[in-house]
Amino acid sequence: MSGSEIKKKILDALDVETFFVCENEEEARQLALGLMAEMGFAKADIVFLEMEGPGARVRVRTYVHRPGDRYGWLE
Amino acid sequence: MNSATVPNDVKKKVLLAPIDPVHDVGLKMIRRALEQRGHQAILLAPDLPVEEIIREIARHQPDFVFLSRTLGYGVAEILARIIDLADAAGLREKTRFAVGGMAIRPQLAAELGFDRGFGPKTTVEEAVAYVEGRAPTTQDSATNRTKSDLTGGYSYQIKHPVIAQLLAELVRKTAQWAAARTSPGVERAQLRQEMFRLLRKARGWPDQQAGTKVPFGFIPVWGEYPEDKWVKAELVELRRRYTGLTEGAIRSFYEQGLLPAKTRPLTPEELEALNRLAAKNRGESRGLGRGQKPLVFIQYGTGCPFMDIAHIKLAEACGADGVIHFDPSWGARAEGLLEGYLSHEEDGSILTPENLAQIRAALNQGTLWQVRAHRGLNTAETVVLAGELGADLTKINIAYGSLGGGTDPDRLVVDGYYAMKLAASYGLPYDVVTNEELAGVPAHKALAGLLVSAALGISLGGRPILQPLFAYSPEVMIGGQMEDNYVDFNAAKVLALREIIAAPIWPGAPVGFLTQSEDRVQSAVATTLHAMLAASLEVEAVTIASSDEAYSGGPISAAARVDTLRGVREGFRFFGQARIQPTPRAQEWADELVREITEVLEKANQAGTFRDALYQGIFGSQEDGAYPGRAGRGTIRLVG
Repeated sequence: MSGSEIKKKILDALDVETFFVCENEEEARQLALGLMAEMGFAKADIVFLEMEGPGARVRVRTYVHRPGDRYGWLE
Repeated sequence: MNSATVPNDVKKKVLLAPIDPVHDVGLKMIRRALEQRGHQAILLAPDLPVEEIIREIARHQPDFVFLSRTLGYGVAEILARIIDLADAAGLREKTRFAVGGMAIRPQLAAELGFDRGFGPKTTVEEAVAYVEGRAPTTQDSATNRTKSDLTGGYSYQIKHPVIAQLLAELVRKTAQWAAARTSPGVERAQLRQEMFRLLRKARGWPDQQAGTKVPFGFIPVWGEYPEDKWVKAELVELRRRYTGLTEGAIRSFYEQGLLPAKTRPLTPEELEALNRLAAKNRGESRGLGRGQKPLVFIQYGTGCPFMDIAHIKLAEACGADGVIHFDPSWGARAEGLLEGYLSHEEDGSILTPENLAQIRAALNQGTLWQVRAHRGLNTAETVVLAGELGADLTKINIAYGSLGGGTDPDRLVVDGYYAMKLAASYGLPYDVVTNEELAGVPAHKALAGLLVSAALGISLGGRPILQPLFAYSPEVMIGGQMEDNYVDFNAAKVLALREIIAAPIWPGAPVGFLTQSEDRVQSAVATTLHAMLAASLEVEAVTIASSDEAYSGGPISAAARVDTLRGVREGFRFFGQARIQPTPRAQEWADELVREITEVLEKANQAGTFRDALYQGIFGSQEDGAYPGRAGRGTIRLVG
């Protein structure tokens, strides 16, 4: 199954949750959005970001299907 | 698990052999359960040589052998040897061989020739059920799941004599005032009921009465059944009169077919796919493992009925007892409801007969469904839709709608009064929530407003459910009542209400409001703990949020729903029959609330009717953060 076929199966959102070793919130934000861009998701949003110790705990989200879209998982 | 003894002809002999050095706890639990059920269970010592296990099997000639293995190394080789030796000894003819444990996967067990393999999450009940040759049952099995009546067993007696007298007087004056008036919202509700009556007559559906609902399934509600042609002229006339009572974007829809911005109709292909999705996932829900109250409700309203149904099916699968329809906020300010299968790009799913019928058709049999009439200009008509389309509950909210929901108090008292009459006629219980607390209205005023609404409803034959907030409200942010814990002040609200009236209580909406953050773990834990407080207080139901409650960057995700439902499930498992114990401060606050509620009701009576008191800020003033709404102002008129 290709990447685009796999994405069609996502009901609505894809969240990536991780811990970045970084200096500050801005760096964490850039890392998270950059990671999503590398994965092929140009539009992503930081849901949660908190600096803790050596870096930041982050959850970043992209919506594959929004309400009202034509849903790939219905095909 | 049912521990009753089985009949003699079902009793079996089971030999249990742990093939780990020490890990035999799982088999000991299964042994206990088997013995409770009257079976004979023989537990061998751990880590016996394979040959000795085979000798014991040959000696005892059991019906079943249960092997368990926790450690992963060499598991395939050991199990294969056991099966080979059992085959060679002719033991497989009489005895069935099962294996389970942390190191086991059912697929491996099958490949090795076992009769059954149990993976790591196997329950004791599943193992016993296998021995007894039946399907496993669980405490929360939905095989015979029936819907609960949240209001069953409540007398609605107002126990506090002074409050009883104050409420009786307020209700008398308010009912007299409201009954003499009507509004476009009331008239639209009456027309909508007429439309449903015509469709029932044309299609041969049963006459509407309490408990008889529109048959669900894929039902185009308007104009697509062949039989509708017999009533088409009458329907056209009713819709013409209805259109005359609408305004703005709603009128444009009926007159010109224009849809509001960010709204689109679903295509026939999408509807067909939606029905396939719903049919495929229709089944029984498993509950949250508690088997008793509180029932757990979630709110849905992504904007799209498709997405809603997908979310609802997931929530049902995760154990939600009920689902609550969330409509767009603009719906409260619009004169009239739309029709058709409509999708909406922003929060809230549009209330149309077709959207609601579609969602209703997708629900599992045992899932409770609330359609909120709530707080706006379509309160009465929404109760009609709820009643006609098979909802189990609605919501009617005069005080919040007037003070925090933007609706003119005069209009909402008239519409709310009529809505309560409708709800009683449809046999629909409804909750009354104190959302005005979120604007800053202190709890005692909000609860006083709730009691007036409830008493008015009771006088009309209704069955209101009291919905205090469990929230980190502005009042407590400023006053510090929750500096130490979130337990006492929330508990005080329930204690106070119970002192006043014998009525069902259903905290919302959702619980833990303003305690959640975008941290999904924190959010799920906050929700879970508030739900456990509700359970400790033995309320009838609780509404929970998703872990996306605090996230405003987009719609609630499906995974976020799993977070909190899973958390609540774990919470029920952790607490069981144990309870969270409030401190004595909770009762002190409860006593204070009762006193303050009494004072508010005294002032309200001095003001005149419920609407007089609302306008005068007695149930929430501008200083509190409450403002009488403007939507619908000047639209009521005297009847006749």
